[in-house]
Amino acid sequence: MNSFIVKGLALAGVLIVATLVVVQQMHIDLTDPINMITFIGAIAIAVLTFGVGAKYMAQMKTDTATGELAEENWDGIGEYKNELPPGWAWSFFGTMVWAVWYFLWGYPLNAYSQIGEWNKEVKEYNAKFEQVHKNASPEVLKEMGESIFLVQCAPCHGETGDGLSGKAQDFTSRFTKEQVLAVIKNGQDQLKYPMGAMPAGMAQGKDAEDIAKYVAGGLKGTAPAAWGTCAGCHGQDGKGNGGTAPDLAGYDLTLVQHVLKHGKEGIIGKMPAFPGRFTPVQEKALASYLATLKQ
Amino acid sequence: MFHWLEKNPFLFSVGVFIVIAFAGLIEILPNFAEAARPIKGLKPYTVLELAGKEVYKKDNCIACHSQLIRPFKAETDRYGQYSLSGEYAYDRPFLWGSKRTGPDLHRVGNYRTSDWHANHMWDPKSVVPTSIMPAYKHQFKNIADTETAYAEAVTVKRVFNTPYGPEIAPSKEAYEKYYKEKLLPEAKKIAKEMKNKEVEAMVNQGKVPEIVALIAYLNRLK
Repeated sequence: MNSFIVKGLALAGVLIVATLVVVQQMHIDLTDPINMITFIGAIAIAVLTFGVGAKYMAQMKTDTATGELAEENWDGIGEYKNELPPGWAWSFFGTMVWAVWYFLWGYPLNAYSQIGEWNKEVKEYNAKFEQVHKNASPEVLKEMGESIFLVQCAPCHGETGDGLSGKAQDFTSRFTKEQVLAVIKNGQDQLKYPMGAMPAGMAQGKDAEDIAKYVAGGLKGTAPAAWGTCAGCHGQDGKGNGGTAPDLAGYDLTLVQHVLKHGKEGIIGKMPAFPGRFTPVQEKALASYLATLKQ
Repeated sequence: MFHWLEKNPFLFSVGVFIVIAFAGLIEILPNFAEAARPIKGLKPYTVLELAGKEVYKKDNCIACHSQLIRPFKAETDRYGQYSLSGEYAYDRPFLWGSKRTGPDLHRVGNYRTSDWHANHMWDPKSVVPTSIMPAYKHQFKNIADTETAYAEAVTVKRVFNTPYGPEIAPSKEAYEKYYKEKLLPEAKKIAKEMKNKEVEAMVNQGKVPEIVALIAYLNRLK
């Protein structure tokens, strides 16, 4: 056996013993498959490195040059003809053909797009979401509405929905008297209900006061005489005539949808619009959560 | 077979260069050229907004807030439409940030109002009880450096051809005219929305506190 190979294997042996010592010293558990695989890998690396290295070192020592000289000759230094292995050469040509396809069709037509991936992700998720929650139970909707509210609405309306003492709309009631009076005085055309704009000054003086008191009080007790003016569009019960005018009694789904879509500015301040932020199921969930806030 | 190539090293180098550069040309350059342009309808910052941007930098909002919404559903659900590189065309420098101790602010103008920001900067816990953001009350007293902001607008107009109108010009008179005719009305509008009497009084006296500039900047982020 060649002395290089012997020395190489001896070195590999030393490394293996060193590895074993480390395993012993650090109490590494070799029954664990990962540890075992790592250990076998370490031994394989040691053997291969020194074995292969030694083989070529030995070859360098004994080999003599053979082959056919190429025509080139640089100051007496020649070069053997060393043809490419055919498999390698043909794969190289193959990559050239592939490159033409890739430059002209492959990349331009099939390039990865982050936005494309986002579109796909959102579309698939929304379709699945609508599918799963198509007939969601009231409990599920309420819970979903609460988590949406806490993330998206609570920063302005407060975590309990009380409007943070007048900084935003208070969801525990529908209106304050001042709000109703302001709408009667100025009219309202922000929410784009099918009924159209509410003209300014539909009621005056005591009539307006009475209406405001009645609406702010949650439409309880007997309606004032002037209520008929309101009932014409908002319905006798004030619930908005099946979605053609805003619901004055509570926050129904139609109202939630309209406010989210158009935003709203009132005497408290301005609420921005959130078009497209929520899916239909989420809007339903929000409306059902708001209904539970009422005291 | 390829000895002729080895004998022409110059030709060989040029060939290699073309092959490698070609991929770069068709894959990188078109995207670069398109993404670097301002998106359609993007307007340069007004001087008040620029002053607010300086406040944003000075008070180090970037340490906790990012301005870059990545195209992931979880992010677009919470912060709005993903960001496009063309939206930052007039940001010098952009304030993407790399840490989100607080939420992303790139679309904050879409869903927060001037009075909300006023409440929030004065006492963050008054609107978000669990907030760990400190209060920034000094912004209600310190006067915004609108002169430097104006100089910045003049500079980017001259150096980068940012499309400002003739009202941005390098002279003291132009600045004073702009301040009175454009900047103050803009500030008054915001001060009124903030519903803060002291701030409103200050602006009416012709002084613009930092908070007004900052809110102008935040409202612009949409």
